[in-house]
Amino acid sequence: MLEKFKKEWLTAPGTNILAGVVVALALIPEAIAFSIIAGVDPMVGLYASFLIAVIISFVGGRPAMISAATGAIALLIVPLVNDYGVDYLLAATILMGVIQLVFGLLKVGKLMKFIPNSVMIGFVNALAIMIFMSQIEHIFGISIDSYVYVIATLFIVYVFPKFIKKVPAPLIALVVLTGVYIIFGSNVGTVGDLGTIERSLPSFFIPDVPFTMETLMIILPYSLSMAVVGLVESLLTARIVDNATDTYSSKNKESRGQGIANFITGFFGGMGGCAMIGQSIINVRSGATTRLSTFTAGVFLMFLIIVLGDWVVQIPMPILAGIMVMVAIGTFDWNSFKYIAKAPRTDSFVMLITVTIVLFTHNLAIGVIVGVIFSALFFATKISKVDVHLEEMKNTITLSFEGQIFFASIDTTLEQIDFKKYEKPVQLDFSKAHLWDDSAVDAIDTIVRKFEEKGNIVHIRELNTDSRKIVKELSQLNEQHLT
Amino acid sequence: MYKSILLAADGSENSIRAAEETLNFINEETEVTILNVIDPTDSKNDVLHSGPSESIMHKRKEKLSKIINLYETNNISYTIQYEHGVPNETVVAFANKGHYQLVVLGNRGLNSLQEMVMGSVSHKVAKRSEIPVMIVK
Repeated sequence: MLEKFKKEWLTAPGTNILAGVVVALALIPEAIAFSIIAGVDPMVGLYASFLIAVIISFVGGRPAMISAATGAIALLIVPLVNDYGVDYLLAATILMGVIQLVFGLLKVGKLMKFIPNSVMIGFVNALAIMIFMSQIEHIFGISIDSYVYVIATLFIVYVFPKFIKKVPAPLIALVVLTGVYIIFGSNVGTVGDLGTIERSLPSFFIPDVPFTMETLMIILPYSLSMAVVGLVESLLTARIVDNATDTYSSKNKESRGQGIANFITGFFGGMGGCAMIGQSIINVRSGATTRLSTFTAGVFLMFLIIVLGDWVVQIPMPILAGIMVMVAIGTFDWNSFKYIAKAPRTDSFVMLITVTIVLFTHNLAIGVIVGVIFSALFFATKISKVDVHLEEMKNTITLSFEGQIFFASIDTTLEQIDFKKYEKPVQLDFSKAHLWDDSAVDAIDTIVRKFEEKGNIVHIRELNTDSRKIVKELSQLNEQHLT
Repeated sequence: MYKSILLAADGSENSIRAAEETLNFINEETEVTILNVIDPTDSKNDVLHSGPSESIMHKRKEKLSKIINLYETNNISYTIQYEHGVPNETVVAFANKGHYQLVVLGNRGLNSLQEMVMGSVSHKVAKRSEIPVMIVK
């Protein structure tokens, strides 16, 4: 226990604290921008990032992973905030936490392996496109100055990292260009136009919503979507950090941790969040391996806001828009084009349908669910192909079955058999087949019965052990059929 | 002859050329350590585009297969080390803390503009390594 604590908190503390500081600097512009996407005060995202990072550093399953306010969740809650206001968002965040905690306790983390790569690629691409689209209103058709700030931001975030490695480039863009704005002024919107910054720690309060069934029915669909999207992104990120560090982490513990973090965050005025791919990679690349870096990221972010809060309202919006464009480009999976060309057609289709559904519904959760359903259907179709060969032997007619026999493949199996009177005894050879369920056993019964009705003698051969077991348990056939 | 050298290799053409070059100054008594640095930035791609972690490990090994074959056919004893981190920093740290007499790496062959934009691993290693560095062009 103590060993584990030491390893997860105290290994290379210096490197981990520094990595946490770097992440905090990179988190600030994103937390503000995601708040603006959601349509809430910047504090709602900043408090969320502080609280989620700090809480998850204790209860999360994946050391060195960064969780905070995210674009994926922000994009989901736009209509809720728009129609009902921020208190409903906080209530939805609390319920999201409860749902994730329950999912974690039910070990839903294991279900993640049923989300194929094609759906995951669709997920990140849809997320990237949605983040980009959310910025269009902050970039185009405002003023010439706006374009200049966006271009300057993009220049800084893409060119500066080649020369200055220690400080995240988005923060350089933020500080330098906000400085330019404060000194010279300019015709652009600022963060202050869209909300206020409070230079204080978050405090506990219960969201001001009526405690009625009606409220529950309003927030429940949002909470469910938030819970699903939060877990999908968090567990994907956990796998990426696992890969980047060659270590394994508990996905169920992470699910429970996400639930606890969101549950508490909702009571302190923060919006829901989840793990962040980009930030976690920044963290690991900076040498982070422990929970201390995640903890530091949250605390240092809050410290900076309390110290520098008055400057934050002066940040020109187009800088944040430029940074979001960078986030969108970084989130997109640029190997997708190669993937569409090379992957099996059904996989490419699932990826594209996931993206399309998200862009139509503005809901990543629906995209993931539809994607999983499609890939399951394709999979079922693929494996439900059964071949039946008829061969005339010296003393018998042999029908050999090849494939997976289960509820979905029975019709195609039966269609291939010509039930008539044969001159010789009929042998059913299952050496290359597997029976999976009671429907399969029923089907065998049916085949035998139909042959016998025509006056044939039927024997079943070479059932494998599993198949023989379910036939013994479920079938009405008697021993003499099984040879 | 060198007793122990470090070969930083990512499996690219240049790293294979570097491996071929080492044959000119090593023999059966030389211990070669092949260092493959895994950049966290690649992990997103790894996870999205390959299956379970075993197959990712397999892919990493496959990338180095030409170099492994080269050493096997020439009876050179080698070990493979995988390290996670930013490539140039990781190579430098690894070279400086071990007991290697030489670090060998390939050069991507970028022109000066590309080098300015993309950064050159070999340049940085050459600058900060405390042991002799050989850059194979």
